[in-house]
Amino acid sequence: MRFIYDRIKYGKESVKDPLYANENSYGRIEVKDSCSGCGKCSRECPVGAIKIETGKARIDGKSCIYCGKCIDACSQEAISNSHEYRIADLELAGDDLRKKIYKKFNRSLVLRSVDTGSCNACMLELSAMSNNYYSLSRYGIDFSASPRHADGIVVTGPVAINMKEALIKTYEAMAEPKIVIAVGACAHDGGIFKESYGVVNMLSEIFPVDLTIPGCPPSPQALIYGLLKLLDRV
Amino acid sequence: MKIDQLREKLDNLKYSTNIKNRNELYVYVPKGEAVDVASMLYTAHKLNFAAEFCQQDIEGGGFLISILFISRKHNYYVVIRYRTEDSIISIQDLVYQSHLFEREISDLYGLEIAGGKDTRNLVKHEAWERGVYPLRKDFAYGTKIKDNNETDRYEFKGLAGEGGYQIAVGPVHAGIIEPGHFRFSAIGESIENLEIRLMYKHRGIEKMMENVDANKLSLIFERVSGESTAAYSEGYAHLVESLNGYQTPEDIKALRVLLLELERAYNFLEDVAGICVDIGFSYPAKKFSYLSELVHQLCERVTGSRFLRNSIIPCGNNVEYKNVNSVDIMDTMGAIMDRFNKIAKVTLATVSFLDRVENTGIIRNDKAVKLCMTGVAGRASGIIYDVRNSFSYELYPKMKKPVLTETLGGVFERYKLKLEEIRNAFDYIKGAIEFIDGRTVPKERNDIALKEGLEAIVSVETVKGDLIIYGQTGRDNRFERIYMKTPSFANWRGLTYAVMGEIVPDFPLCNKSLNMSYSENDR
Repeated sequence: MRFIYDRIKYGKESVKDPLYANENSYGRIEVKDSCSGCGKCSRECPVGAIKIETGKARIDGKSCIYCGKCIDACSQEAISNSHEYRIADLELAGDDLRKKIYKKFNRSLVLRSVDTGSCNACMLELSAMSNNYYSLSRYGIDFSASPRHADGIVVTGPVAINMKEALIKTYEAMAEPKIVIAVGACAHDGGIFKESYGVVNMLSEIFPVDLTIPGCPPSPQALIYGLLKLLDRV
Repeated sequence: MKIDQLREKLDNLKYSTNIKNRNELYVYVPKGEAVDVASMLYTAHKLNFAAEFCQQDIEGGGFLISILFISRKHNYYVVIRYRTEDSIISIQDLVYQSHLFEREISDLYGLEIAGGKDTRNLVKHEAWERGVYPLRKDFAYGTKIKDNNETDRYEFKGLAGEGGYQIAVGPVHAGIIEPGHFRFSAIGESIENLEIRLMYKHRGIEKMMENVDANKLSLIFERVSGESTAAYSEGYAHLVESLNGYQTPEDIKALRVLLLELERAYNFLEDVAGICVDIGFSYPAKKFSYLSELVHQLCERVTGSRFLRNSIIPCGNNVEYKNVNSVDIMDTMGAIMDRFNKIAKVTLATVSFLDRVENTGIIRNDKAVKLCMTGVAGRASGIIYDVRNSFSYELYPKMKKPVLTETLGGVFERYKLKLEEIRNAFDYIKGAIEFIDGRTVPKERNDIALKEGLEAIVSVETVKGDLIIYGQTGRDNRFERIYMKTPSFANWRGLTYAVMGEIVPDFPLCNKSLNMSYSENDR
């Protein structure tokens, strides 16, 4: 009875559009024209995501862990955080897939989550998508309890040696079209752990990756944007 | 017994001793006498076993094994250290839980466990190539372990007899959960034995920490366990500051407490939500996780990161904290607490809920002591230990609260404690904000320069329990060795006792009530 009262008093509490602009969120790191290419940021970067090309810094948004060290290091204030979290990117294979998914599943999607060595922040953000603020299920996207029911896997973390076999088995057990979604910098190229002895492969060396959602960890908003992009809905 | 008295006693026994950083007593013993000294400290002096770790001896060659004991009453560490060439003297007969630490050393350094009952592989799974010991210095940083499937098969405990069967679960679980393997042996409905196999996520973080400049290390510490980001960065800050004697300004100390308690608040809210989910009590579950989401968003507004990343840094502060933030935190947290108290009250008055949680998943005090459990999991079983009280750090000494404990050690006790911890976190936050008193805490970054050849031990209370970090400095502003005793490493074994005699469907409930981190266990 008290719950009904609580429900009436506070309403649904879901945000109407999860993809609202969020000025507190971290987002794409932008380099201004005033960059002199001194290379200070590139030395400061803990994951080697910054390269100096033709006299300017170029930041690889997928490898970036958005720690902001480069922003602090830059003496010309040429690097800034744009707060634009909508940075998920479809890989080459993903573009074809998008049409297929639309045809086959009529926009709904069932996913299986596999963690291969993340620090568990990505996992927490994945589960935060289904809390009643973001309410992921309104888009017809669900996480299944078995790979047999899944159209795709969401991989978080670098591929650790002890998890490699389980990852491959999960992939094989899955039904077509076997979508692979890499969540976070670690799943893209090993992130901060890429030099580590236990991180044996990059995910893209094992399977073709369809969608990469960059971040460390990507916020629920960034994740929802990525998934909707795959479904051709944004 | 105080640290000086203990030192005197050990000196009289002709052991060479040394006190570092005021509360770390190092005792150097011959290999053959390590067990006797450990036994004396553990049985006669009632010190608590904390960890056992290995490092390479830079000067003398060979390996140094350290057995770490702590005095929770008088707040000091005792390290028994001996040199060895090829084997660890097992103390499994003395401290049951030491088998975990010994097996880990054996896998990563290639030392034999002499006289141990359990010598199975822990870190090495079947995929590993034979004969590699990655933490040895001659294993070059950047080399990858080859997955040649050369390691021996791991043998699970078997089950014989009529009506008995085994259920294998994992490593990939049904849901958004980290990987680990559970092998249930059940007879009829009840669980007779549970064997847990972890380390699926072993990446080799300790090796990385030895090879990265001290100024960049904070980012790696934060990523040992995402949910305890603030606590791990605090641990690293604490370690560096205890090595170079940096005096943290009081305002930064207060801000750190504020951030640490925000982290505790969202984690415990998520935990109690999880307990409700596993019972199928969906309304409070949804609302608790909604409140947790609000705390995450608050963290994002204050620090720019939902997980408080890159906020606590050694010898400084990386958050521009203004009075606006204080007002925001008080308003948001006040509203959250109000709502939280109402919902929590309803759960405690719901019979169907109590029916599931009461007398479920009990870990008795003697078992919890045997397993060296810490944190909420330990305190629910009557272990009176909280690092914030014992090895008090930052502003905690000024805002001491009594240690919250329960006695029975079941799911309900852990649930109640977690509710209390959330209220406590709010009180600490209020205290920290009152201390900062509207002042601005500016960003302050200082380069860290480490002297070679120092060592220190620090503890921090994370959401899961006590995190102990040992650091030894080396050349080029790097660490020679960093060892982390993560809270989940010992606490995981508590789950095997919690589920004993329960039915299989109660397993998720027991698991969630303890809620350990796989990531920090596997490292």
